[in-house]
Amino acid sequence: MASPSAGQQEAARLLLRRESRALRGRVLLPVLLGVAATACALGTTWLVARLLATLLGASGAGWPELAAAAALALLGAALGLAQERAQLAAGETARTRLRDMTFARLLAAGPAAPRGVGEAASLVVDRVEALDGYFGRWLPTAMLALLAPLMVIAAATYADPRSGLLLAIAGLLYPVAMAATGIGAAQASRRQFEALERLSGRFLDRMRGLPTLVLFNRQEAEAEALGEAANELRRRTMSVLRVAFLSGTALELLSALALACIAWRHGALEGGDPAAGLFCLLLVPAFFAPLRAFAAAYHERLAAAGAAAALAPLLLAEEDAGLALEEMPPRVVVTFTDVRLTYDPARPPALDGLSFRVNAGETLVLAGASGAGKSSVLRLLMGFNRPEAGRIAINGQDALALKPAELRRLSSYVGQKPHLFRASIRDNIRFARPDASAGQVEAAARAAQVLDFAEGLPQGLDTLVGEGGWGLSGGQAQRVALARAFLRDTPLVLLDEPTAHLDPGTEAEVLESLQRLCMGRTAIIASHSAAARASLGRVLEISHGRALGTARAAQGQG
Amino acid sequence: MAVPSALPAPLRARGNAMTADLLRILGLWRGRRGWLVAGLAVTIVSALLGAALLALAGQAVADVLGGAAVAGAVAFLLLRPLIALRPAARWGERMMTHAATFRALADTRVWFFRRLADRLPSGIGLRRSGDLLGRLVSDVEALDGLYLKVMVPVAAALALVLVVVALLAGHPLLAAAVALPLALALALPLLLAPGAARAAAEAAEAQGRLRATAVDPLIGIEDTLAANAERQAGAALAAEAVQLGRAQRRLAGRAALAGAGGTLLGQAALLAALAWGLSGGGAGVTVLALFLVLATAETIGVLPRAGTALAAAGAGARRLFEAADAPAPLTEPAVPAGLPGGHAIRIEGLRFAWTPDRPLVFDGLDLDLPEGTRLAILGPSGIGKSSLAALLLKLAAPQAGRITLGGVDLASLAAEDVRRRIACLTQDARLFDDSIAANLRIAAPLAPEAALWRALDRAGIGALVRALPEGLETRCGEGGARFSGGQARRLALARVLLSAAPVLILDEPTAGLDAETERAFLETLEEVTAGRTVILIAHRLTGVERPSRIIRLAGGRALPAAG
Repeated sequence: MASPSAGQQEAARLLLRRESRALRGRVLLPVLLGVAATACALGTTWLVARLLATLLGASGAGWPELAAAAALALLGAALGLAQERAQLAAGETARTRLRDMTFARLLAAGPAAPRGVGEAASLVVDRVEALDGYFGRWLPTAMLALLAPLMVIAAATYADPRSGLLLAIAGLLYPVAMAATGIGAAQASRRQFEALERLSGRFLDRMRGLPTLVLFNRQEAEAEALGEAANELRRRTMSVLRVAFLSGTALELLSALALACIAWRHGALEGGDPAAGLFCLLLVPAFFAPLRAFAAAYHERLAAAGAAAALAPLLLAEEDAGLALEEMPPRVVVTFTDVRLTYDPARPPALDGLSFRVNAGETLVLAGASGAGKSSVLRLLMGFNRPEAGRIAINGQDALALKPAELRRLSSYVGQKPHLFRASIRDNIRFARPDASAGQVEAAARAAQVLDFAEGLPQGLDTLVGEGGWGLSGGQAQRVALARAFLRDTPLVLLDEPTAHLDPGTEAEVLESLQRLCMGRTAIIASHSAAARASLGRVLEISHGRALGTARAAQGQG
Repeated sequence: MAVPSALPAPLRARGNAMTADLLRILGLWRGRRGWLVAGLAVTIVSALLGAALLALAGQAVADVLGGAAVAGAVAFLLLRPLIALRPAARWGERMMTHAATFRALADTRVWFFRRLADRLPSGIGLRRSGDLLGRLVSDVEALDGLYLKVMVPVAAALALVLVVVALLAGHPLLAAAVALPLALALALPLLLAPGAARAAAEAAEAQGRLRATAVDPLIGIEDTLAANAERQAGAALAAEAVQLGRAQRRLAGRAALAGAGGTLLGQAALLAALAWGLSGGGAGVTVLALFLVLATAETIGVLPRAGTALAAAGAGARRLFEAADAPAPLTEPAVPAGLPGGHAIRIEGLRFAWTPDRPLVFDGLDLDLPEGTRLAILGPSGIGKSSLAALLLKLAAPQAGRITLGGVDLASLAAEDVRRRIACLTQDARLFDDSIAANLRIAAPLAPEAALWRALDRAGIGALVRALPEGLETRCGEGGARFSGGQARRLALARVLLSAAPVLILDEPTAGLDAETERAFLETLEEVTAGRTVILIAHRLTGVERPSRIIRLAGGRALPAAG
């Protein structure tokens, strides 16, 4: 994958900044609680130092101080708990909004988007989750990593200025160490996510075609290839962690040095205030704890930056402008004028100046060799793709001025490989129109010859179907998809190979009900079937993306 | 891992189930034993170095403040190498333990895929592919907690507690006062895990549903958009996200509570040492104890959190096994028969239904296919044409009757051997998101390029592929999305023709092809499959197939037919 442009990184920063600004109020609470917890820790440490000095015979503290220390420790733990809980809530709002928006944009991108489903799902789930770490942990931790050490330095300076200075120096050195170890880390994190997306994409793709692999005895080879993808994820993850661990190690080193310097200073110091010395020494862990949390949260920041870079192009893109459908036209005239469409610049265009007109109430059958451009016509009318040139008009109005989703409201569409979801047959039909009544669903099922076979199934229309139509034969699944078109009831009907996978008997029955479906509607049907051509209506022959001419079919039945 | 017997019975049962699952995971990781043990060893060394560093620092200060300047100076000298050693050991520990974990996780993912391929050979059935993906990604990921968040910190804490006890052994009361809170912190994960198990299971389930809810409408994106169901899909996703958020918050809340408990236990040890000192214990040894407690604070503080990590790992393991333990559709013969010499197929008295509640597909089917037969099977959709293919390929087993290949019962042959003899173009044959060449070589991994071209030409798509700028390296897209339906079908056809199997089953090979291409292919079918047995499944014949036999399926039996 190409390294992302400066523009993309800028976009990622923009996205994170925009989201953080909205969250400022929610981040404040955990930070304040964290500051209070630090104050408690300072108090406890001071009391413990005094008690220790007492034991060494240099101070006069006793049981009351011990009780106070215990009380402060309890308070500190409670504050820490409250802080962590407040952090949990901070990220949730941002996450919800970003996930909803990402998913909506992915759906809007449609079937033409080059992204695989596994990768897309990884964007919605894993990447958005990564952003959560940024808002929930990184932002408050980063603020605390600044505030809490300053408090400790102030307390140390009060007790012993030189120790305070030592801690301050250690604090200043830390960013230097971070910068030295963290270079290139954002890129490593991005690669880690890409590896995860590749693994997800590969697994989902192969799972969906598992029988194909098994029938060719290739499951073992695929397991090995998947293992390679999993290993790549491991390597990428390790190179992210290596950076995070290095900065953690730099921190450990600084911490050990600070401890030694302070111990040495107070050890060499005869006659100083032992309580102050011990206090400074005991402060060292308190000083580094927030920095350690910072180092631990640092790779969350990296992951979030990587996630933002991947999400930004989707989220910052302008929403598709377009008109809404003012009212549903009862009748539709479709006109294509010199329409051109190219999927891949290296291949010949799919449509190369196609023109035709379908009148209101007319049925047009698109014929032609596979790859001639029949499906492309339907895809354009569904707004899945946009033509490079030419005009598509609905009732004389530019169809491309409509929002794609609005354009789709006009049509009932059944594609070449209609997808059945894992649900009952009934719900799969109802999917086309969720508000349909039970009677309407059954009428649609009857019209598409679904009831014929459903009656023989154990639960009839309530029989569960697996993803992609598992449990039904190819022809049965095709009829369930057609039932959706019957249910949807729109002025335009777009069908791609509606009778593929059907035996001649069933095909004749389905064609008869299709004639009823098309009655009074405008229909465009891509089909190879001779029977479909003969019975449905006017035939438009397409070759290499151009219209060869139309022929009125022999009007046998229609 | 013993489940504490102090827990109430339902919790104990849950704990026992979790223990069994996690032990099984450790069994899966056997191959990485070296890495895992080495990681624990480095962890222990690093923990001990940390304790030594703070103990020496404390000792030095105590000595000096207490007037023993020489002893203090010695302690300082010893301190110096530790300053560099401890961070180095810590770095080594983290790298080592993480490298070990991720190796184990990669192994687990491959294992999971193998199992699914074994158990679901005819597809995922009523499962959701997005849910399986979630198990592979998120649930396997949760397993990292078992080692990184449980075994590693427990090893470090155990070492530290032993050191504390050893160093303070001369003062039993002090040792007890300090070690008891630490030991309690060690026991907490086991006490907390069963209670967190339900929240963890809910979080894992919700995570799986979230991913599946995202995947479903994307797989059927054309149909989702065609139904204007974007908002519906978005609402479903948001609802799952709310559930996930709730479960995660509950789990994280438990973790935070455990974390606070860990902090308190550390403080309790500290104050207990001080109290011991105040009530007349020795000053020097109190200081030592104090610094030891500080050294253990980091490790002990995170230990109670291991309880939720353990619960999350347990939930992940459960979901993984639940999918991986799907019953295999067919049991492989313990000792498979050797490959038969011939490939004549004989079906006798076959009775078959997909599930007991579904009607019989075959009821006394008899069929005899000598080598080289070219059989056409006709019949309406749903009559059992594809079921017959599934039975021949050992994707399903008949309830009665038998099928022999070369005279040997299929039931006694290994599925892999059967599939080496019988290749099939199924109705849902899938092109993978890979190059054309890679997709073809699924049928014959070692096929030279010339063979690929020959197969493409026979399937009637050679010219089109030649015209592509990237030729055989052109990517097909998911499910062949970069080609038209008919083109994708012909690529799948070329793949089957490339296979060397002596028996070919072609299930509607020309579905979605235009009449001319269909005719052209069927006319050459005899030539391209010369010498092989061919079973052609179709709705109708076009008149150019020239089969040597035609049967029609009806009423669960085969009837001779005439085209």
